[in-house]
Amino acid sequence: MVTKERDATGNSMMKLVTGEDWRRGLDNLLRGELEHWFGTRTWWTQILIWALSVNLIYLMVSLSARNDPDFESIMIFNIFLGLAGPIGTCIVMQMAVVGETRAGTAAWILSKPVSRPAFILSKLIGNAIGLAVTMVLAQGVIAYLITVLVLGVALPIPGFLAGLGVQMANIFFYMTMTLMFGAIFDHPAPVIGIPMAFLFVQQFLVSLAPGLAKILPWSLVMPLNNSTELPMSTALMLGEPVSSYLPLYGTLALSGLFIVIALWVFQRQEL
Amino acid sequence: MEWVIDTHGLSKSFKRVDALKSLNLRVQKNSIFGFLGPNGAGKTTTIKLLLDLIRPTAGSASVFGLDTVKDSVAIRARIGYLPQEPHYYEYMSARQILNFTAHFFFKGPQAEIDQRVAETLDLVGLEDKADRPIKGFSGGERQRLGIAQAQVNYPDLLILDEPAASLDPMGRRDVLEVMDRLRKYTTIFYCTHILDDVQRVSDTVAILNHGELVAFGPIEDLLAGGEGVAYEVKLKGQTDSVHQLVASQPWVTGIQSKTTNGLTSWTVSVSNPEAAETELFRLLAADQQVVVTHYHVKEYELEDVFLRIVEGGQHGH
Repeated sequence: MVTKERDATGNSMMKLVTGEDWRRGLDNLLRGELEHWFGTRTWWTQILIWALSVNLIYLMVSLSARNDPDFESIMIFNIFLGLAGPIGTCIVMQMAVVGETRAGTAAWILSKPVSRPAFILSKLIGNAIGLAVTMVLAQGVIAYLITVLVLGVALPIPGFLAGLGVQMANIFFYMTMTLMFGAIFDHPAPVIGIPMAFLFVQQFLVSLAPGLAKILPWSLVMPLNNSTELPMSTALMLGEPVSSYLPLYGTLALSGLFIVIALWVFQRQEL
Repeated sequence: MEWVIDTHGLSKSFKRVDALKSLNLRVQKNSIFGFLGPNGAGKTTTIKLLLDLIRPTAGSASVFGLDTVKDSVAIRARIGYLPQEPHYYEYMSARQILNFTAHFFFKGPQAEIDQRVAETLDLVGLEDKADRPIKGFSGGERQRLGIAQAQVNYPDLLILDEPAASLDPMGRRDVLEVMDRLRKYTTIFYCTHILDDVQRVSDTVAILNHGELVAFGPIEDLLAGGEGVAYEVKLKGQTDSVHQLVASQPWVTGIQSKTTNGLTSWTVSVSNPEAAETELFRLLAADQQVVVTHYHVKEYELEDVFLRIVEGGQHGH
């Protein structure tokens, strides 16, 4: 083993990271998260998985409807992305916090000059970018090409992007919920189980108490029972009017609440 | 005296189990501080409290004069830590891990960071495996990487939890050499079960048992104290009469005797080392029925002290 004696200046040649606030370590952690998403095979395997789960079905539906294109084809894309997206999100996010606390990597990271909010926010922002690119944007591009090439319909791009934004809000809701449970529980089962259960129970909740549809994400991507209104994402993609943006605001507000709870709980968590 | 670590009544309970009971500990600057204790004694709990990975139930601790709860980030900016079972991101290579770690401390220049990473890989002998994903690393290689990432920032305090675990004898020797070399730059606080290593490199030792500090002080004091002076003697021949004679001396407090293959071994404990030094050998040599084959003052090993304290539950403050 050979070692170079260090000089008396020690770290003086280096530019030190300074500051002790909540952002300390965020840049580096975020770089690490993005490196994991886009510097490994994760990005293309995710694109492939969601293309097979969502757009393969959309392609088949579009092929069968190409002689008589209507709004139902694009609604099917939205429904499948609206269901598969949260399921995939829960799977991706389940280990983001609880996996690292159980494996010991969280303790390793937090033995460095890193704030706890920075750790949680890096998981949130890094995975939000990863999921937005692979699950929403890439699938949106594929779906748009299918719509143009198979159905022969060129939807207005701003409306299509706005619809994808609503899909992202739906996914973000489940991301933040899974993140929150990851901070609360020390076992992966409830972390993935509760958001998944909520995804499927939600349709009964909005049927039993229709007022809940105004704050929950269900109507962003799914048609409501006994209603002729299109889901918000479909309506935006087709350039149809949206009766109320309240469900979008409610979803974003609840997501914000989940983030605050996740930060608060993780600040007190023992590693 | 400059204290790097200073704890006052530091305590931690987990679900009504007292993992650490009112720990008062001081670690001097530039010392190699051996923190010993059986499994579950509270060593790792103490380290986690110092790093603010867990919060104290009572008491307080300061590192570099800063409070471990309020000023944790500032403290961690000056610490290097090797966990007992190091876990890293498996998709990264050793070089990436060190680069990632270094960026928590340094903004740049990147060329300087790259050079520091290369030096650190060289220090732990991982330069030839630097660009392989760590997924395939052996336990010893992970341990070396752990030491590397702990010292990539040239810390003022190095906290090592079982640094020589999973290493072969050569690896252990190398780690001890590195620790000894780093002594002039940093303070090293380390937990271990390998008492030989502690005796070789530490200058101060603390022993923890059932969450309580049971011994604490310079290693020479710990080795010298406790059981007092004893002589180890080996005799051939008829020992009955000389045994009677030695045992009757007022400065002899006890004789432990064992006979194997006609050779009798005694451990003679004495209360007056000066009297023993002048008298004991003379008494033995004067007896015509025995031949003295070995005679020396017993040197206590840290292991003897540790076992006596831990198994006997004695308090050696």
